[in-house]
Order: sequence, then structure tokens, then C-alpha cells
Amino acid sequence: MIADLARRWSARIDATVDVRHLAWMRMALGPIALLHLAPFLRDSLDATTYLDSFHVPNVSWYPQLPEPLYVALLWLAAAAAVLLTVGLLSRLAAAVTAGVVAYNLFVSQAHYSTNRAFLLILLLGAAALPVGGAPSVDAWLGRRRDRLPGPGTTTRAWIVDLLRFEVAAVYLASGFSKLIDPDWWGGTVLALRVERGVEEAVAAGLPRSLVEVLADPTTMWWGAKLVVLTELFIGLGLWFPRTRRAAVLVVVLFHVSIQVTADVEVFTWAALAALALWVPTPALDAPAPPAPRWPARSRPRPAPA
Amino acid sequence: MIGPGRGGRWWARRVVFAVVVVAQLTLVVRAYHAPQRPFGFQMFPESSDWRADIVRVSTDGERRPIDDGTWEYRWSELVRGHGLDRPDVRHHASAGLDSTLHLFGAALDWVAANTPRDEQTLYLEATVTTWHNGRAPRTVVLRSDERVTAPTTSTTTRTASTTTSTTAAGAAR
Repeated sequence: MIADLARRWSARIDATVDVRHLAWMRMALGPIALLHLAPFLRDSLDATTYLDSFHVPNVSWYPQLPEPLYVALLWLAAAAAVLLTVGLLSRLAAAVTAGVVAYNLFVSQAHYSTNRAFLLILLLGAAALPVGGAPSVDAWLGRRRDRLPGPGTTTRAWIVDLLRFEVAAVYLASGFSKLIDPDWWGGTVLALRVERGVEEAVAAGLPRSLVEVLADPTTMWWGAKLVVLTELFIGLGLWFPRTRRAAVLVVVLFHVSIQVTADVEVFTWAALAALALWVPTPALDAPAPPAPRWPARSRPRPAPA
Repeated sequence: MIGPGRGGRWWARRVVFAVVVVAQLTLVVRAYHAPQRPFGFQMFPESSDWRADIVRVSTDGERRPIDDGTWEYRWSELVRGHGLDRPDVRHHASAGLDSTLHLFGAALDWVAANTPRDEQTLYLEATVTTWHNGRAPRTVVLRSDERVTAPTTSTTTRTASTTTSTTAAGAAR
């Protein structure tokens, strides 16, 4: 069985797949990157950068760029994000955006957050994959001038699968850490979070009686299990064809609920954009499936002459 | 043995795939032990709170709160984000207490090292109160590196920041 799994994994790594659907992820990543960069760009307009206040790099040898160069890079990333969205020099634009987002993420420990790391992973994926397919300026230019080849839309499956692994790892790592934490699994953490938001929810128009039922310790005890199992289900369910559709639906509901109840910056939008990765990508160069041993249906035979 | 079709690229694909997977799993496991959790993906890990009172300790041992109006700087202009700009207010430690205190300790060091107009302070000291997932409060004292201060100061070297004491201010967890 292990040998069979290894053989299938090995075959999958070398397979060629069509990823033209990832153009939609590319188009979404541009605005998401801009949304992420916006506060840094706004500060730069006020001549303020991270250098003006507390910052501490992740490692002491991390290069500290001069302020004008740092600001120029931020704006370069913004321009690259626009190019990424419209699909002009898509992979280069993704690489530039990813590079600047990565530099900015690690330049100070105060800049790090999970949603930014997740965005970086997706941008790196966009730089590694042929995401420039239509609708894109590259594809349009390719059609207008026959001499120019259009952007490729096929790639090796292992890059797609590696990116899928990274996305699934986010949910599995988060779910597992909560599963083994008695405070999370027992509902304490969730109850305290909900308690914090009770007055806010009432002020937003939810009936107090409903909010109090939701904040009830028993509800929270069950709610915590629902959250943990939801994350684990997403991380596993996305992999299997039979559960993928349900997992995608759960992803949407899960992230919309997080977006409504917490400040997670670009996490929701990045997670929704990443769903494009789970469109099935059968191997284009796989051998044809074996012919059935018996006819599925009996064909009408020609009448004897 | 490299068989037919198993050239450098064939191996490179497998090696890169394996390295990324192992690196990611390592970061996930590391997140259980490290105060900072890059790529560990532990979202909403706690529902803990914290607050801190910061004093400036001068070379003669005098202790002055940073908000008593005598300091040449304002903490909130020096430290931003993650709730660190208003340590005197009880905050939710969104990334967990370990992570928040690690960052807050680094902020103390940074402020101590980047306030040249302050010629009095030898180091900053913060008395931090934490509430881990709603439990009874605990108190931790964080101290910045010692500063290179005015010429009158005998101390000229910087020391590593230290957690000087930990006391349970309430019932056991």
C-alpha cells in the first residue's frame, strides 16, 4: 500500500496540469496585496515608516534599507500588484509583490501576523505558477500579435500541490493547536472572546436574548468543538473529491463569520482567493483510463443483411 | 541510481517538495515552544489580557512613571501597534501572552536605546499584569537593557533584558 501511494505521489509530481483557472486567484491577489500595503503606503505619504518607531528584525543580520529606498519598494510593490491584477507580466509582478511583502513582513517582528504570512505564501505561489492566463493583458496582447506567445497555462502538478499543502496546513495547524489546548477545546477561550463582543453585538442590532444564548457556557462548550472540527475538516476535506465541495462551502461560511466577528486584515479575502487552488487539476499527460471490461450498455447490432 | 528520465529536474522536484513540507511542519511544531510563531499558524490562540505600568529608573535609583509629565518622550509615539502603544490600558493579547510579552520586552529595549534626549534614565522597568484565559492575574517585571546615559553615569555597557521576577498575584492557575 505504501509503495502504491509512493508511486502515485511520484507520478503526480511529474504530471502536467492545466491551471488557467488560477487567473482568478491572480486577479484577486492584486487588490488583496494593495489592501495589505495600504497602511504602509499611507504612512509613507506622511513621511513615516517603521524606522520612526519601535521595530525589531527577526534576525540581527536582516538588511535595513535606507528609508527612501524602503518607501520606493513599497510603491513598486503597489504598482506590481496592479499589474498582477490586470495580468501584465503577471509572474514578474507576483514575484516583485511577494519580494516586497516578504521584506516588509520580516523587517520587524511587529509587522508579522498570520494573515500576512498567508498572503505571502499565495503571492509566492502566483510567482511560481503560470497565472497569467486570460482574462489578462498578456493573453490579450498575445492574441493581438500572433508573433507573441500567449502566457502558458500548464505547469507541473507538484507546484500546485505544494501550494495546496501550505493552504491546508494553515487550517490543520490552527485546528490541531486548539484541539490539544484544554482551554480551547473546553470552550473557555471562545467564551471569553464572545463575552468581549456581547455589548458590541447588541449595539450592532442583535437581540440581547439571542446574544446571551450564544454566550451561554454550554453553547460555548459545543461551539469550541465546532470551531476546532471545522478547521480540521477544512484542512482535510479539501483534499478529497467527495468532501471538497462541502469543504469549500465551509471555508466560505467560516471566513465570513470570522470577518464579521474579528479584525483579521486580509485573511478572509486571501482565504477565499485561495479556493481557486482546489479546482480539480487532472493530469493532462496521464495515460488514458483502461477500457471497461464489459460494455456499459449493449449497442444495437446492425441487422443481418 | 538514476534511471531513464530521472535527471536533475526529476530529483529537484522531489527535493524541493520534501524540503518545503518538512520546513513547514518544523515551523508548525516550533510554534508550540517559541514566543514568536512565524508560519506556525496558531490563530486566536488565547483569550488573555495584559497591561503594564512603566517606570524610568535613573542612575540614582529614582523611579518615575513614564507618564508623569517629566519625560522628554511619549511612549505612544515611540511604540505602535499590537496594543503596545497604550500599555497602561488592559488589552487583549491577540497573539497570545508569550508573544505579546516578548514583543513588549523588545519594545522596552528599543525605547531605552532610542531616546537620546533622556539623560537621566538608566533603564526602563515594566510591571506587567497578565490574565491568562480569564484566570487570576499574575505579575511579571520586565526590565530593559541598561542605557548608555550621560557622562556622569558609571554604567556604559548594555546588558540583556531580563525578567527579574515572577509572582503570582492571585490564586494559582
